[in-house]
Amino acid sequence: MRRDLMEILACPVCKGELTLDARSEAADGEVLEGSLHCARCDERYPIDDGIPNLLPPDLRREMEAEEARARGGGS
Amino acid sequence: MTQQPIEREIREAVVGRYAARARAALESAGVAPAAGACCAPGDAVPAGPTKLEFFDLGAGTALGAACDPNDPDCAVDVAPGASPSSSTRFGTLNYEQTEGVPAAALAASAGCGNPVAIAELRPGESVLDLGSGGGVDCFFAAHEVGASGQVWGLDMTPEMIQLARHNATQVDAKNVRFRLGEIEDIPFADASFDAIISNCVINLSTDKPQVFREAFRVLRPGGRLRVSDMVWTREVPAAQARDAEQWAGCIAGALRVEDYLGAIRAAGFVDVDARYEETESGLTSAYVSATRP
Repeated sequence: MRRDLMEILACPVCKGELTLDARSEAADGEVLEGSLHCARCDERYPIDDGIPNLLPPDLRREMEAEEARARGGGS
Repeated sequence: MTQQPIEREIREAVVGRYAARARAALESAGVAPAAGACCAPGDAVPAGPTKLEFFDLGAGTALGAACDPNDPDCAVDVAPGASPSSSTRFGTLNYEQTEGVPAAALAASAGCGNPVAIAELRPGESVLDLGSGGGVDCFFAAHEVGASGQVWGLDMTPEMIQLARHNATQVDAKNVRFRLGEIEDIPFADASFDAIISNCVINLSTDKPQVFREAFRVLRPGGRLRVSDMVWTREVPAAQARDAEQWAGCIAGALRVEDYLGAIRAAGFVDVDARYEETESGLTSAYVSATRP
């Protein structure tokens, strides 16, 4: 996720502007950890290992729950 | 649109199938797939330069494409006894030129056409690939638009994004970016792209009219929609209509071609056209083109 590529991104739900909150950045300006914030929805889209998760929030939560269940199942 | 009870089941079948494909491709490329949706630090960065291997596209190439007619989910109930169509080709058989494309991108290729071949891409253009998978179509598009252009791949399967990013490092594709997101809720601003491509993916969506509305929104006026996708040229056999696995295999979700084009027109597109050959089964791959006025 690079700062200069921000303007093309939009909130998947309301299509509003996103602002970048970078927690960790690589030397080349690549944002590795942080989030993208939609002020209109007050929703945060996480950036993990440089990949912003721009799935709709309900879907993201569903997938996270699924994963937690899978891990809890001892697999 | 009303929520269909089976929608969630279909989505899970689709994600499950493509995640498995991505994991297999990552493993064959010597990359450990991430445990879940997010990646342990360092996982996306290959340990060192991987030797590029290229597929021999001769007879017997086993690609395991999603729309592979040899896949039991795809062929058995569609046309019992019918031989695979000569006009519908799957996976990498659609690409005449595969030099410079990593084996892992080709291995995960599940397309039913070559949309870049009909997209008339020009240097400097911005392109979005809906359902970018391992990234193979993005890499071809990147070659067409050149260093002054940009290609974005959108996919809802985290493992595919990881695979595509790995592949991008292998081809040194600096003008290609991948984003995790849904094609029904495209996370890009209005009027951002000159062209949208998609290869055998829209049939997997449970809300195709929404996909076309979103495609329309993110295209600039004059922007082109150029996709290859599976369609029925006859009535969809009732037995297939609601089976999640067959949906994930590009059969059950395919629309009749008239309905497919109708949904594109309803989104506001003009010059809507499809090119395809009739098959014995009635299921065929079509090249579809449309323009945002």
